[in-house]
Amino acid sequence: MIRNYLLLIIVILLYGCSEQASSIFSQDIDGSAAKFEDDTHGTYNSTYRPLSSENIIIKNAIIFDGNGNKLENTEIHFSDGLIQAIGQELVAEGAEVIDASGKYITPGIIDIHSHMGVYPAPSVRTSSDGNEATNPVTAEVWAEHSVWSQDPQYKLALAGGVTTFHVLPGSANLFGGRGVTLKNVSSNTVPDMKFPNAPHSLKMACGENPKRVYSSRGPSTRMGNVAGYRQAWIEAENFKNSLESSPSRRNLRYETLVGVLDGEILSHIHCYRADEMATMINIAEEFDYKIAAFHHAVEAYKIADLLADNNICAALWADWWGFKHEAYDMSIANVAIVDQARNGQGCAIVHSDSENGIQRLNQEAAKALSAGREAGFEISDARAITWLTKNPAIAAGILEQTGTIEIGKNADIVVWSGHPLSVYSKADQVYIDGALTFDRLNNFMPHTDFDLGIELWESE
Amino acid sequence: MKYFFSTFLFISFVLIPHADDMVVVKNANVFLGQNGFLQKDILIDEGEIILVEDNLPSVPEAELIDAKGKYVTPGLIVFSALGLIEIASIDQTDDTTSNYYNAGFDPSRAYNPFSQAVRLNRSKGVSSTVHMPGASGFFSGLLTYTKINDGLKQKKQGPLGLFTSYGESYNDSRAATLQFMDDFFNFVRQQDNLSQVDNIQFFSGTNNEYQFTRRDLQAVEKVLSGEIPLVVSVNKATDILNVIRFADRQDINLVLWSVDEGHLVAEEIAQAEVPVILDPLQNIPRSFDSLNSTYLNVVKLRDAGVKMSFYYSQDAGPHNAYLATQSAGNAVAMGLNYNDALMSITSNASEIFNLVDVGIIAPGYDADIVIWDGDPLELMTNVERVFIDGKDQDLSNRYKELTNRYIEKSDLPNSYRSRK
Repeated sequence: MIRNYLLLIIVILLYGCSEQASSIFSQDIDGSAAKFEDDTHGTYNSTYRPLSSENIIIKNAIIFDGNGNKLENTEIHFSDGLIQAIGQELVAEGAEVIDASGKYITPGIIDIHSHMGVYPAPSVRTSSDGNEATNPVTAEVWAEHSVWSQDPQYKLALAGGVTTFHVLPGSANLFGGRGVTLKNVSSNTVPDMKFPNAPHSLKMACGENPKRVYSSRGPSTRMGNVAGYRQAWIEAENFKNSLESSPSRRNLRYETLVGVLDGEILSHIHCYRADEMATMINIAEEFDYKIAAFHHAVEAYKIADLLADNNICAALWADWWGFKHEAYDMSIANVAIVDQARNGQGCAIVHSDSENGIQRLNQEAAKALSAGREAGFEISDARAITWLTKNPAIAAGILEQTGTIEIGKNADIVVWSGHPLSVYSKADQVYIDGALTFDRLNNFMPHTDFDLGIELWESE
Repeated sequence: MKYFFSTFLFISFVLIPHADDMVVVKNANVFLGQNGFLQKDILIDEGEIILVEDNLPSVPEAELIDAKGKYVTPGLIVFSALGLIEIASIDQTDDTTSNYYNAGFDPSRAYNPFSQAVRLNRSKGVSSTVHMPGASGFFSGLLTYTKINDGLKQKKQGPLGLFTSYGESYNDSRAATLQFMDDFFNFVRQQDNLSQVDNIQFFSGTNNEYQFTRRDLQAVEKVLSGEIPLVVSVNKATDILNVIRFADRQDINLVLWSVDEGHLVAEEIAQAEVPVILDPLQNIPRSFDSLNSTYLNVVKLRDAGVKMSFYYSQDAGPHNAYLATQSAGNAVAMGLNYNDALMSITSNASEIFNLVDVGIIAPGYDADIVIWDGDPLELMTNVERVFIDGKDQDLSNRYKELTNRYIEKSDLPNSYRSRK
């Protein structure tokens, strides 16, 4: 059974579907679309509307601000969806004052690598929508068009303090498609969940997965993978140049890639091995685009300085390894080594890639921190919280709105029952844009339509 | 040597010491099951725990470990494929399934004590594992207990149980599967002399899974005779009830595995006195057999009085079986008593499978102990020492070496940096 679970993970999340057929998208679709303006921010806009915001002053909690600071004897006031004040003896008209003695506050946790919605629960073929494994290049597909808004997993992540998550297509393909950043709110349409003004992302994948899925038609080697990326980027450049003479030309695949070349779409790359990450940096230099983050990056610690020098984040597990050859050279100090590169200039993120791990990202950070200290690094608890908040906000391009506790930012706030790096602590309340979305103590949480008719998940 | 004396006599006797083996752990917070942590001294000799007392006199020949402020627990007993899989996606390194055998397959015979996963898990406090066969066919194979000490020789106990699964995981109607189980068990029961049976094809002309060699039939016979339990992976509440009724009908011993919906039938499980082995972290409605998954599973099973043992099945679980501590810690967060949680990753496995002399810290038991620098269930606690059969274990591993190599200040290429 243990092996069964592993196979499930490997098959669903890591290998993707092994079916091979020629893509229905393999023909370029040129044409004109008079209404087309900009499909990064155009017709697929967010329609998110927050629930009604609380007007609250929380006092006596210890605050990790997500920016690396621990604030004691500090109060926080939020209303109208925003953090209004941080300081002592705050007064605000109409505000409810909450005494949170013994509790801790962090910004809402952001998971930079989730497949919730595209690989929902229950895990069955009929709703397995994360890998368009029909062609090595499917930059044209968008994860948001697979997301199932009734996935019962969202509330489990919410109970773990996750307020924002970035949903990516799977890693079967060299170019898997566009990712989308969602607010962890319940709705019955996906645009209602979309994080307003968050940029799109592009999912790419290195290594074992694409070369196995496409072994018979190619690419079947890592060098084949690299030729595949470069070929696609050359085609995208040609498409971009052609827009000068035919500005209404449409091509879903190249529009995504051109979005990356133009800096509007963020590049996120599933890549385990250090040598392959270095190659991907070479490719980004050749075509002049920026890599936002390497994901999984089990060997990031081997090139931590290179990543810091290129301002590339590494989104990592605390301790996963051994399920694939490219995940063999694990170090539990990976997160800490990346974080501490170039005197603390590194951008380390603790991610989940898992409907289990997303519920306990604070615990994953604690294990990574512990290993870092064991390796001799002096890293504060407050610094470790940045791996869950500020740094994923940087990688998702939403740091202006969320990720830290600062005046004017979205009031995405978690109140923890105790120190968030303890196994015994739980998120007691979770606020998204100032609205209470989860309250463990009052057994308050959303239930998707799927939850109806079955015994509900309860708190104590 | 054997000790037949009380503490008082201990003081007055002259011991013939085995200096290499003798260890005294002083002032430790020692985990003593339902009594929790109590400050005790422990004397270890010849691989056994000799004494657990309030104040042991000094024994000059013994290594003295002052463990004041430290925590001592029995070595973790995990359920895993440690030493049977090196890299999961490379089939050639995976010895957990068989095409030759089903019920009689014992994967523990492929155990590799030099596996990197073994070394990592040992350094994290695991002293032994119940080896689990991988799922293949109707019967997956036998469970066996193996210590994961360094060196080439490992003590084993077993077989402990016969592993199978019921519900959607088996590719037939669950009604037909129940009928098959009854028909097959009745058939084996009716064989006069199994040692004369070469092999049978139970349903001639159907699936290969129904072929049983003599080795397989003998394993099933062990279940029928009550020598070992049937260990059934099952999640759906109604399936759990059907499996309990089946075991009752066949008069066999039963252990339940996984039981995502166990809380819905907790009273029935308790009444049947069936122990369960599960991961407290599994709260996802991951299949239509598990729609009622909840974190509260362990709490409700505990309230009903069900004996439980825990494993860690999350994510990279097979290589990180030691994270059973994280499963147990979360169970405490959900409302389980701390001592119950820690026993669920140490002594309960021993009780469930009637293991001999392992799983608790008491005189006469194997000296499998772990010294931690803090609460063993906390995420930031480190292992300081591991003893297995009284031997101080090598806790070095490839992952520390990799870490050390890359935190070293050096301009040398990696291959010329330190190996330690």
